[in-house]
Amino acid sequence: MTDAGAAIAEGTLKGGGAPPAGAPSRALRSPWTAVVAVAVLLVAVFPVLSDDLYYQNMIILSMVFAIGAVGLNIITGYAGYISLGQGAFIGLGAYTVGICVTDIGGSPWVWVPVAGVLAGVVAALLGVVAMRARGHAFVILTIAFLFLVQLLATNWDALTNGTGGITLPIPTWSAEYQYWPFYYTLMGLLAVSLLASWWIRRNKFGMGLIAIREDEDKAATVGVSTPTYKILAFVASAVFVGMAGGVYGYYVSFIDPLGMFNILLSVQIILSLLIGGRATLWGPVLGAFLIEWLNETSNNEFGGGNARLIIFGGLLALVVLFLPRGIIPTAAGWIERWRNRGKAGLAGERLTGIDLRERETPTPAAPPADARPLLEVQGLEKRFGGVRAVDGASFAVPEGSITALIGPNGSGKTTVFNLIGGTMAPQAGEVRFDGQRIDGKPPWRRAHAGLGRTFQITRLFREMTVLENVVAPLREFHVGLLGADAVSGREARRAEELLDFVGMRKYRDVRASALSYGQQKLVELAQILMLDPKLIMLDEPAGGINPTLIERIGEMIRELNARGKTFLIVEHNMPFVLGLCNPVLVLARGQNIASGTPDEIQRDPKVLDAYLGEDFRLEQPVGA
Amino acid sequence: MTEFLQALILGLLIGGVYALLASGLTLIFGVMNVINIAHGAFLILAAFVTWSLWRETGMDPLAAIVVLTPLMFGFGWLLYNATIRPIRKAPPAASVLLTFGLALLLEGLMGVIWGNTSHSVRPGYFTESFGIGDIFLPKAQVYGGLVAIVVLASLYVFLTRSWVGRAIRASAVNPQGAELVGVNVASVAALTFAIGVASAGAGGAIASVLYPFLPGSHYQWIARLLGIIVLGGMGSLPGAVIGALCLGVAELMTVTYIGPEWATGVPYVFVFIVLLLRPQGILGMRLRQDVATT
Repeated sequence: MTDAGAAIAEGTLKGGGAPPAGAPSRALRSPWTAVVAVAVLLVAVFPVLSDDLYYQNMIILSMVFAIGAVGLNIITGYAGYISLGQGAFIGLGAYTVGICVTDIGGSPWVWVPVAGVLAGVVAALLGVVAMRARGHAFVILTIAFLFLVQLLATNWDALTNGTGGITLPIPTWSAEYQYWPFYYTLMGLLAVSLLASWWIRRNKFGMGLIAIREDEDKAATVGVSTPTYKILAFVASAVFVGMAGGVYGYYVSFIDPLGMFNILLSVQIILSLLIGGRATLWGPVLGAFLIEWLNETSNNEFGGGNARLIIFGGLLALVVLFLPRGIIPTAAGWIERWRNRGKAGLAGERLTGIDLRERETPTPAAPPADARPLLEVQGLEKRFGGVRAVDGASFAVPEGSITALIGPNGSGKTTVFNLIGGTMAPQAGEVRFDGQRIDGKPPWRRAHAGLGRTFQITRLFREMTVLENVVAPLREFHVGLLGADAVSGREARRAEELLDFVGMRKYRDVRASALSYGQQKLVELAQILMLDPKLIMLDEPAGGINPTLIERIGEMIRELNARGKTFLIVEHNMPFVLGLCNPVLVLARGQNIASGTPDEIQRDPKVLDAYLGEDFRLEQPVGA
Repeated sequence: MTEFLQALILGLLIGGVYALLASGLTLIFGVMNVINIAHGAFLILAAFVTWSLWRETGMDPLAAIVVLTPLMFGFGWLLYNATIRPIRKAPPAASVLLTFGLALLLEGLMGVIWGNTSHSVRPGYFTESFGIGDIFLPKAQVYGGLVAIVVLASLYVFLTRSWVGRAIRASAVNPQGAELVGVNVASVAALTFAIGVASAGAGGAIASVLYPFLPGSHYQWIARLLGIIVLGGMGSLPGAVIGALCLGVAELMTVTYIGPEWATGVPYVFVFIVLLLRPQGILGMRLRQDVATT
């Protein structure tokens, strides 16, 4: 099955083929656009055409929750962090407007942007606390956050008037205009937050967030500075919600801790996101309108209160069990399956014309004698409990070389990689890269410095397409680059060139999880090339793939090396290593025991000893 | 000084009850990597059943533990198989949302059955207290704390001395390894969940005497229990006990020296401080997931 990757690498794939699988958004664009346009138009003209205040009220509330859910989507849908406290930002916004109007005065509208700023600041502070918290710890933090602000609103009488609440002035405009100012302000806010969500989904920042959702540790190794991304995501998820909360507070005109920080507001927002579809653009909006309708129904038909709890709670459990992906992704999946019925996917196409001619393997050239070391490792140590995985390893990788790091299983090669890449911290020792100490720096800093690595078992971001995988890495950190368009424009063109280089361009819109193992290796190589690294560290590039592809990978390494890239390669395939690398470093029991040209290493008794064991010659033949 | 000593002793007694309740939560997390947000709702359910038993038959709430523990065990086992087993392989977020949904559902159902008013169980000794010098210790708190410690100790003995207990701990440490040596991790998970809910049953019966409760009280309880296990280190049983005693004392000190209205804030402050300064908690390793430990 890895033939596909190999043949494509040879550039011999026959033309044509089905539209790429795994790109539902593209396939569905035309019918969706019409539906969305009609829906938006209907909502826009509704208050003008109908004077039914009941529905106007319902749409206003739906839009408040939609803004909440679109915001939540940024951290939960894109970055994968579940928050049960999103409703708190609505309350914070409402309180900001309420307190400012009461204590300072002026129109509530003036204070709505302030509400957004305050929500953003609080979200940033929360982000700082959450920086080190993952998964469950984060969920707990969001619950604690919601309850804590509720407690503050209840007990800080001087500021919030406690349980007595704050009453806002009644709107001054003519009754003729009904709720229009609320209605259209919220519609504008919803439009802006959708625009932000759309923009994030297609820029480098959004790619990094999805990468964090898929594999946070791996994301860090391709330059994604995860704490910064997370804090920015929290801010982005809160600002518009805070503003919507301000409008909401003015609209309901009474603000108290129980109403504004009710956990059911958060439940309603989460349900909206889950039902509509996480990580989709319109899912949160669709969900919010559905859930608000359900909310009204449960209040009017079943008397609210306990019925509302039972309906929301039951629905939340049912959605998790039976509709985990939400309406839009599920429907998109059905439509896609229906369209692709009877067609073979691209990944399954048979390939012909694989070039299997014998090639001459040149002896690998030694690096020039005066080459400076690009990477230096001094006395590196890493213990796991009592096991000394790396025990004082010291070596150097000359600039411009293809250096191999070999050794028997368990000799600590991958641990050395993890220590150099920053996925693990050593207990002792130094790592110098390009003349600078990098141990102690987080993985993304090392990536920005020019260090790129692949993993022994490929770790692509599975739910992202091939192209998205390649554009996710961040070469250097600056705000302009975060906002750069990722799925088209310069970044995408660069990614396509790299995909072309590894022969995977045709697969650009295929989901990474649909690729074969060999193909994943090629994409992972393109992914780290996006970092434009000085040193490329490959962990078993030839492991588990077919001979043709191994040869192609060898060629790619030589080609990149000729263009100035230095390599450090961990590999068990000896013919591959000895035909490609010079120098070769040998690691055994966590220490480097030898280094030299391939020829020297092959003859070194210490190396034989390490691989075969001291008592190899003494052992009795089997059956003797 | 008397004030301080009284707060300290009462805090430790309450902490014993918290320890029992939090141990179930931390056990479920340790074995299944599930944060059971419904834990608070389970304990309120147990409190309501205790209330009904006491109301209808006059049964002592502390004696009701004998009924509540097996009852909640069965309830937990059924609930696990009906709802959590199907999503065992799903991402961890799924179980948080699911148990959160269950908590809301239970809250609504309890509101329908028992009403949304404050309830409390008041056995004959409710208003009596022990006096040691100037220190007054309400009997309900003393009995409740002691019973909780006994139940917790039996749970500990069960986990350390019985084969099933060892299987549970093995599954928590290394599920694949446990499977290889013949532990059926799937049914151990069901059993653990049931034990966790049973401990919420026993703890809920005791809590019904200590605090007034209504269906909505479960939020406060789950916040308290989450604060405890975050402080102690998620998944660590001794950590839960230490965290519970700390929280019990901290709450009582807050009530005595700052004001009762701020006592509910103590667990939230715990969560913030711990996540900022020591994300893995006092005894835990698991919370700190940002450093690869493979």
